[in-house]
Amino acid sequence: MSATLTRLDDLLGRPVSMRALALLRVLAGPAVLLHLQPLLGDTLDGRTYQDGFYEPYAAWYPELPEPVYVALLWLAAVAAVAMSLGFLTRLATATTFAIVAYNMFLSTTHFHNNRAYLILVLGLLAVAPCGRELSLDAWIRRRRGLPALDPTGPGWPLWLLRFECAAVYGASGLSKLTDPDWFGGTVTWQRVVRAREDLEAWPLPDWAVSGLTERSFHTGAAKFIVLTELFIALGLWWRGTRYAAVWIAVVFHLAIEASASVQVFSYLGIAVLVVWAVPSTRDRVLRIDPADARQRRFGALVGRLDWLARFRVEPAAPGSGLQLVDRDGTTIVGAPAVALALSRLPLTAWFTLPALLLPGVRRARRGPGSMPAPVAAKSPAGGR
Amino acid sequence: MVVVTVVVVQLGLVARGYWSDHKEFAFQMFPESSTWRAEVVRVTADGRRVPVEQAWSGYRWDELVQDRGLRYPSVRHHADAGLDNQLAFLQAALDWVAENTPRDSETRYLEATVTAWHNADPPRVEVLRSPEREASG
Repeated sequence: MSATLTRLDDLLGRPVSMRALALLRVLAGPAVLLHLQPLLGDTLDGRTYQDGFYEPYAAWYPELPEPVYVALLWLAAVAAVAMSLGFLTRLATATTFAIVAYNMFLSTTHFHNNRAYLILVLGLLAVAPCGRELSLDAWIRRRRGLPALDPTGPGWPLWLLRFECAAVYGASGLSKLTDPDWFGGTVTWQRVVRAREDLEAWPLPDWAVSGLTERSFHTGAAKFIVLTELFIALGLWWRGTRYAAVWIAVVFHLAIEASASVQVFSYLGIAVLVVWAVPSTRDRVLRIDPADARQRRFGALVGRLDWLARFRVEPAAPGSGLQLVDRDGTTIVGAPAVALALSRLPLTAWFTLPALLLPGVRRARRGPGSMPAPVAAKSPAGGR
Repeated sequence: MVVVTVVVVQLGLVARGYWSDHKEFAFQMFPESSTWRAEVVRVTADGRRVPVEQAWSGYRWDELVQDRGLRYPSVRHHADAGLDNQLAFLQAALDWVAENTPRDSETRYLEATVTAWHNADPPRVEVLRSPEREASG
């Protein structure tokens, strides 16, 4: 027992790359602004929550005079921008978290699941040293000739964020699994039947509308939805299923966004998926022939889109093909290397991950065409 | 220690979601297809039952209560976060309006006759009532 706790403590305290959290910090700013937008709009019209029905969680919870409250909301917007830009990052992130959390706990009517998730994300970003990369703070240090700060930090905020991410899907799936009306299809069927008019406004053929409003369709569809949520919650934790879970989670969020009003949940849900990237950086090598214009362009593309810092781009010998040296030292060349590289970039991953299932790419990653190379690097947190 | 605390609290909140009205941090998404509607009236000191759709003493229900799907209670709505959640909000809204309409000197209390359809179950009717207002009569 104590050995397990020691190992767990070691895992949580082990320094890991904060790159994924830095990227999430950048992406979280727009989520905060989207969340604040209607509240700020109300303040411009002279309205705040105090002008209508609200229900404090606790009588002792401090409520501010209206002008101070309005100023706080605008400060949160400024802080969110600073957080995304990485300017006074720790302060900006903590300020954003504090105000967004304060506002949510002002009234039970302010609570929504997407806001709860946003608060969890902001809270964990606030305690992680995630401003040392992808930030104005880092740029200012460079401009002043100061050495860059260590871009690693203890792993526990990352692990906690992973836990919260999985908990969101797991809790949602479990609540549906244990509800006979949900798992049996009644809930989705009724929702769709009541939204039939909206459905008919979509460019769908009649047979599709009929099918979607059939009770029997939902008997199966509901189970598929529930199992999908549970698969995402569990699949994210294992190396073999992680990419599939991430890919499905993106589809899942897009489907929810298309069918329901969930405020910032879809955007935030997809953004948080970056925390499942292995927390080590530049441990794959992309070798390009600088004399080859196509390879040069591809190298530049990878350089621009490699927001998680997966790759070192290095020159290859003239005349050689594009090469990718994976973490385990395997060298992949040509089109499979392109597919693998694109599958590791946040913006292109969803489109290219299925290509990794192609027999040619699978063979290239483990077959005789691949070569061990001397740059093998062990991942500090397992997984690829 | 921080990690263990957060994990335990989060799991506790997920469990709490199975019995609490508001289910904070329980992440129960789209829990029900339930719907509801309510006839909300002001019951005055002389016994009249006046629908809140009619403005009174310079107040309008749809201005006082704009959030959580409560603006037009007489229209049948989906209970976004479940019936228990929705009716808890409706009760709180009745209480809030009763307490925050000082110019109204005639209303004794507000009452909502709620018809609720839990998923595919038959409708059930229940009555929610605000506390008696001190300034009435």
